[in-house]
Amino acid sequence: MMREPNAVDFWRGFALITIFINHIPGNVFQEYTYSQYGISDAAELFVFLAGWSIGIAIHGRGGQTEPALRTVLRLLSRMVEVYRAQLVITAIALAMLAGAALALDNPLLVEWHNAGPIFTDPIQATVGWVTLLHQLGFFNILPLYVVLLALAPAFVLMARIHRGLTLAMSLSLYAVCLVDEINLPSWPSEGHWFFNPFCWQLLLVLGFLAHEWHRESPRFLAWRRLLMPLGIVLVAVGAVLAVLHLRPDPLLVPEPRLLFTFDKSYLSPARLLHFLGILLAFQPLFALIQPRAPWLVRQLAALGRNSLAVFSVGSVASLAVQLVRFSTEGGFVVDVFAVGCGLFLLAFTAWFVEWRSRSPRPSSSA
Amino acid sequence: MAFSLPSALLVGVSLAMGASLLGAAAQTPAPRTPIPPPGATAPGPEAPDPSLSPECRVPGSKLYTLAKLRGVKKALREHRAVDVLSVGSSSGGLGIAGSYPVRLEDALEKSMPDVAVEVQSRGVSGEIVYGAAERLRNVIAETEPDLVVWQVGTNDALARVDIEEFSRSLSETVAWIKSHGIDVVLVDPQYTASLAGDGYFDRFVAAIRTVAASEQVPLVQRYEAMRYLSARAKGEAAGGGFRLADLGFRCMAEHVTRAITVSLLEPDVTAPPPAGQTAARKPE
Repeated sequence: MMREPNAVDFWRGFALITIFINHIPGNVFQEYTYSQYGISDAAELFVFLAGWSIGIAIHGRGGQTEPALRTVLRLLSRMVEVYRAQLVITAIALAMLAGAALALDNPLLVEWHNAGPIFTDPIQATVGWVTLLHQLGFFNILPLYVVLLALAPAFVLMARIHRGLTLAMSLSLYAVCLVDEINLPSWPSEGHWFFNPFCWQLLLVLGFLAHEWHRESPRFLAWRRLLMPLGIVLVAVGAVLAVLHLRPDPLLVPEPRLLFTFDKSYLSPARLLHFLGILLAFQPLFALIQPRAPWLVRQLAALGRNSLAVFSVGSVASLAVQLVRFSTEGGFVVDVFAVGCGLFLLAFTAWFVEWRSRSPRPSSSA
Repeated sequence: MAFSLPSALLVGVSLAMGASLLGAAAQTPAPRTPIPPPGATAPGPEAPDPSLSPECRVPGSKLYTLAKLRGVKKALREHRAVDVLSVGSSSGGLGIAGSYPVRLEDALEKSMPDVAVEVQSRGVSGEIVYGAAERLRNVIAETEPDLVVWQVGTNDALARVDIEEFSRSLSETVAWIKSHGIDVVLVDPQYTASLAGDGYFDRFVAAIRTVAASEQVPLVQRYEAMRYLSARAKGEAAGGGFRLADLGFRCMAEHVTRAITVSLLEPDVTAPPPAGQTAARKPE
């Protein structure tokens, strides 16, 4: 039986749709995603909820904590799954870009989204993309997730000893990498990862710890309610800054500059704070939506329950829509049709994955 | 719409520059002038530039529009290495040694023998209208270069972003970079035959030219130069757009270097621009 719709799956589904739409630059729906009205975006939500989900996964039905070794193996197996998904969608994306370049006789397309080196420098770049050191534009969230899942066992096991200490460790790693600008490199192109795992791990750990506190501590719930007005203020400030396009000048802020800029790679404090504001401000929203729009809640929760498959299909679909927009020169009708097809495909993917797990698979009996 | 120096003016300016540089050399107390590189004089804009290798030979008028590079000149005056940040998607070439940033560094050092040049490169992905401009600001703050060589527009053009929004975002970003005393050289997208009839691309490339003129930064007209090379290559064995693209990559370092060295010949004196400088139409 599939689990009933819940807030985590619902918001994960919401994040997946937001990411899908934001990964089609210039489409008419983009202006209506919440990313346009704040400093942080759906990536933060996605990673935080991934941490929360780890919390759900490691407890048995009766609420007891599973053995440590089982948790480590569970996270490791998830990491392998995510890595495999990243390889598959990157390979498909490369073939789509190359195929479109051939079909439209347009070499610009193989330069798109950082794909250039893979076709002009295949010897190095093949090593690069298979080891996740070379990432295509918009195909950079799963590499982050792979490293986060590799780091997760340490934090999850440490939390069994002391949660406060776990948070302190995570915060220290975040702060050191932010101040010293430590990030994983990209290769063969110079530069570094789009999402710095050493900074973004903080959100995963926060998500995980929030789940643990949420389960056990009534005080956590009380504080959450109490801080809601602060969250609303943060969201309002973020909206004003985003709409007026106000942000600090990275060459004028004092050192260490990443403490002050709105940098996405390093999850700068402003983004983190804004995201926490969103969590606090919108905490009662799910309970309000659920009785009023049960169909919507069921659909989004289904996406969220199957987030890896839906994310993978969404990544490929958003690239497909971009290619369609390019070759047809876009426009309102194309956007509505192509994005609509994409959303349908996401819903179908969620249904299909659950259908497959319900039905006996011919391949497994062969 | 093409905004550039009229050809006669360009010839005149380059002659005058040659003369003024000779004069400057005689007057400056410093024993050696950091600029210009030996033998670098701007050729006539309509003849294929003989300083370029034969396969990349394009007339100056098709290859660049010029503007002053104050940040680079300052580095040269202070006799320190010039830090260049190359921003764009293509690496173009087999292995590290063949990649565009390495070729650019080699070509710049060859054309300015007394000067050390350090080229760093970053592939800033995404559209400048939707966030890439912000990421570029962060990259510039991280690397603090003297000069940014920016291959701009390919991602935005492929996403068919609104051209006005693109222009606004490009102007703002270029103005921001210049406001910090850092030079910018823009490189527009490559040309390919299947885009020849695409009105959007023509307008898009023209918009970059307009911004380069109004913000007074040099522009390497890769689109125009490759169109010239493709017309010249007609009749030779067909290889389609992909062969031209390959040639375009191989020539880019040379073309960028040429635009930089010729721009360095622009006189230091801030004279009011000659009438019609920015509004003049390129002879074609």
